[in-house]
Amino acid sequence: MLIKRPRGWEIPESQATPEHLVLNRRALMAAAGAGAMLAPTVAKAQFWRRSEPADPWTRLPAELPDLPPAMRNTRYPAERAISPERDAVTFNNFYEFGSDKGIWTSALKMPTRPWTVKVEGMVESPGEFDVDDLIRRIGLEERVYRLRCVEAWGMTVPWTGFQLSKLLDIVKPLGSAKFVRFETAQKPEVMPGLRQSWYPWPHIEGCTIEEAGNELTFMPVGLFGRPLPPQNGGPFRVVFPWKYGFKSGKSIARITLTDQRPVSFWETLQASEYGFWANVNPQVPHPRWSQATERLIGSNERVPTKLFNGYGDFVAGLYSNLQSERLWA
Amino acid sequence: MALVGGAALALWFGGGTPLGAVIFRLWPAFLNTLQAGVQRRIAPELWDWVFLPVLEAPSWLVPAALGALLLLAGLARRR
Repeated sequence: MLIKRPRGWEIPESQATPEHLVLNRRALMAAAGAGAMLAPTVAKAQFWRRSEPADPWTRLPAELPDLPPAMRNTRYPAERAISPERDAVTFNNFYEFGSDKGIWTSALKMPTRPWTVKVEGMVESPGEFDVDDLIRRIGLEERVYRLRCVEAWGMTVPWTGFQLSKLLDIVKPLGSAKFVRFETAQKPEVMPGLRQSWYPWPHIEGCTIEEAGNELTFMPVGLFGRPLPPQNGGPFRVVFPWKYGFKSGKSIARITLTDQRPVSFWETLQASEYGFWANVNPQVPHPRWSQATERLIGSNERVPTKLFNGYGDFVAGLYSNLQSERLWA
Repeated sequence: MALVGGAALALWFGGGTPLGAVIFRLWPAFLNTLQAGVQRRIAPELWDWVFLPVLEAPSWLVPAALGALLLLAGLARRR
């Protein structure tokens, strides 16, 4: 009779690791290798984030002048708490600087003085205006507006600026002007997004002449009483508080009055998700998510979204004869 | 196959057309979604340092490089 005594290193066949697990382990090791290669990039990014200064305002470009005092206009009550200042200036979308919310560190490298804006096209008096001259000429007021991003988050911030209609009064639109086109500045030396030459730069946004003349359409040059930082669209931007935030063009260098409906940057990229009108409507979902509620930046509270972002009393009449248009996306 | 693909891209879109431009022409929304995923969920610099240089390269270069690698690997294996 054969008696087999296993040696110390021998194990039964049943305990051997199956072949497919060994092969999977190789894949796992390959993935780990790739991860190790990418780790320095990720670690460096994390290091940079940790080394950010506590107060983003301390990094504002030195050439920015203080804003003259501006009274708060109480005609437009926000009806909710103002968002924390730090969140408002460090949680931003500005595609020329990148897709992540922390673009403020790159954006702050953009020089914002001197800054001029050309207003041209179908107007009686076209011109190129220095932003500080416009501030002195038109005067400033403060408005607390709710902001609703298409990504289903919201903020409430005090903008300092002037109504767009006051600028239009200076240039005097012709009767043939039907639309207003807003063009964002192109600064390739500080805007890494412009390296993506396949996109339809410059960033264009637009509205109708009636929307431009609405009392809510505002041209901020400040935020929280300070000069508007680049990451928030400084030094000069437009705000339509009843539309999704992407419609409110940032760092504007040119305004053109035209009889052609502008095709916006985002419309070119994804018309089904970012249309021309883009009015806030909780009943009309985004193709990929619901718009019924929004997360408030700062408190993280989720609150119901309102039709026209709660500004229907001021703007609903603009659309009474446009029911055939895709007004809500 | 990849070498043929590279040559076809060069002929169809022009020799200097960046890979990103070809992808954008074929699927306009794809790169934006990819960039958002990479920069928001992994690291913003990964896009600028790794993805962008590849997307900025001529469209034929990536399949051609892949084809050349596979060709070399095949030759080495035959030996």
